[in-house]
Amino acid sequence: MHQPIPHEEAASAVKLGRAIVVTSGKGGVGKTTTTANLGTALAQRGASVALVDADVGLRNLDIVLGLESRVKFHVLDVLEGKASLDDALVRDKHSETLVLLAAAQSREKDEVDTEQMRALIQSLRERYDYVLIDCPAGIELGFRNAVVGADEAIVVCTPEVSAVRDVDRVVGLLGNRFKPQLIINRLRPQLVKKGKMLSVEDVNAILRLPLLGVIADEPEIIITTNKGEPLALRREGETASAYHAIAARVAGEDVPAPAPEVKESFMEKLGTIFGGRRA
Amino acid sequence: MAGRRIVVTSGKGGVGKTTTTANLGAALAKRGLRVVLVDADIGLRNLDLVLGLEKRIVFDLVEVAEGRCQLRQALIKDKRFESLAILPAAQTRDKDAITESQFESIVAQAAEAADYVLIDCPAGIEAGFRNAVAGATEAIVVTTPEVSAIRDADRVVGKLNDRRLPMRLIVNRLRPEMVRTGDMLSVEDVCEILAIELLGIVPDDSEIIDTTNRGEPIVLDAAARLGVIYDKIARRLEGEMVPFTSFDAQGFFGKLFGSLKAG
Repeated sequence: MHQPIPHEEAASAVKLGRAIVVTSGKGGVGKTTTTANLGTALAQRGASVALVDADVGLRNLDIVLGLESRVKFHVLDVLEGKASLDDALVRDKHSETLVLLAAAQSREKDEVDTEQMRALIQSLRERYDYVLIDCPAGIELGFRNAVVGADEAIVVCTPEVSAVRDVDRVVGLLGNRFKPQLIINRLRPQLVKKGKMLSVEDVNAILRLPLLGVIADEPEIIITTNKGEPLALRREGETASAYHAIAARVAGEDVPAPAPEVKESFMEKLGTIFGGRRA
Repeated sequence: MAGRRIVVTSGKGGVGKTTTTANLGAALAKRGLRVVLVDADIGLRNLDLVLGLEKRIVFDLVEVAEGRCQLRQALIKDKRFESLAILPAAQTRDKDAITESQFESIVAQAAEAADYVLIDCPAGIEAGFRNAVAGATEAIVVTTPEVSAIRDADRVVGKLNDRRLPMRLIVNRLRPEMVRTGDMLSVEDVCEILAIELLGIVPDDSEIIDTTNRGEPIVLDAAARLGVIYDKIARRLEGEMVPFTSFDAQGFFGKLFGSLKAG
């Protein structure tokens, strides 16, 4: 099991934290939500975690964490020497060992110097057990700057052909160095059962990546994201548990990755009552 | 007269730009209009998949820009519609493989023989976005009723304003039952924040996941709820006054029979 390292020790010891980029190619598959929830779940385990929003110009990680009004400085301020790293890191409201480095909102991605970004991630790795980097959509400069400091990758994919194709392209671009692992997001077991959505097996038959976990599509995610309270703050519930299981696997524990199961909904029950016709 | 050149954009990815482009294009073509869809997402193309045309690609946008082929050779005709064609993006190239002025002239050329050129913009606001917007004279901004999507859309609206592009809004993936319980922003909320004219409201419908995966635009199915909605949006683009239907009148029976109304 992964042992969380106290802050001072981490700074003095040679041991570096892990820098993991959360990426996907396609936008809107849940990179930011995954980063926030995985970061929260890791912090709940006692690990120190820094989340870095690499989406300069279109930042959202601050909103998902509910920290948007506490952001004073951003990543470009640090890179340009206008603020120290300590000043720019925003302490999370809910998890003591979690901090956020926000992206600049009114700046452009080409203002980020790739080598400086690498050095920044390196200095965060000296201080935190985990540095999770929320990558922007696409495979342009923003993507390259997000991956440059990382040594591992988590790719997020929804069970849709377009997302699978984009992830496949990103995995190709990443190469072997990042040891990409897969999270399948927004699975709707009911649709899979009816043959109207790709299954976990379908997706991974194409991608062939180690599976970290599967997250179901549920309205609760939208609600908690809008509220700025990651679902992983909860101890109970299927999706919260799925994030905690993913965190455990990231930390090296050998826990199973349970996939969401089909629950018979009220509507389906009604359907059976009315002679199998689905409303 | 050359056709209208409209970029479909959003800032945030995954809100439904490609699905909107494909289905709106198909709805316009179904009404007899000549439509060319341009995939501007070089390196991460998907419009071909959504229309089920991926196996028929011979040439792509970058090859047209480099003069390796004629535009008409690269256009793939969608056989299900008489007047719909797509210009696919290159899959193994980068966004900077084409310049803004090259993109603009290709789109202008496509518009010479079309009523509509719809440009499917990549996510983000980098070079790919700038190319896609350079070719357009109008914009459709797609957003979902989520705080993060609206923030990104707002950033894009600012950028489009700088370029003086007229724009209209499509609110995508609305879940009326979540709006009613106060767990989702309403269309009014979204319009108030973004302050641009509303073009359409598309409810969240699992049917679209399936048709998209199968490469069949939902407007092909005359009975599909979303098909009707995309047709309404097409008519609004054509200048017809088509009223928006309210989602509010949702009793238990409305829910039971899945007969959500939309605009």
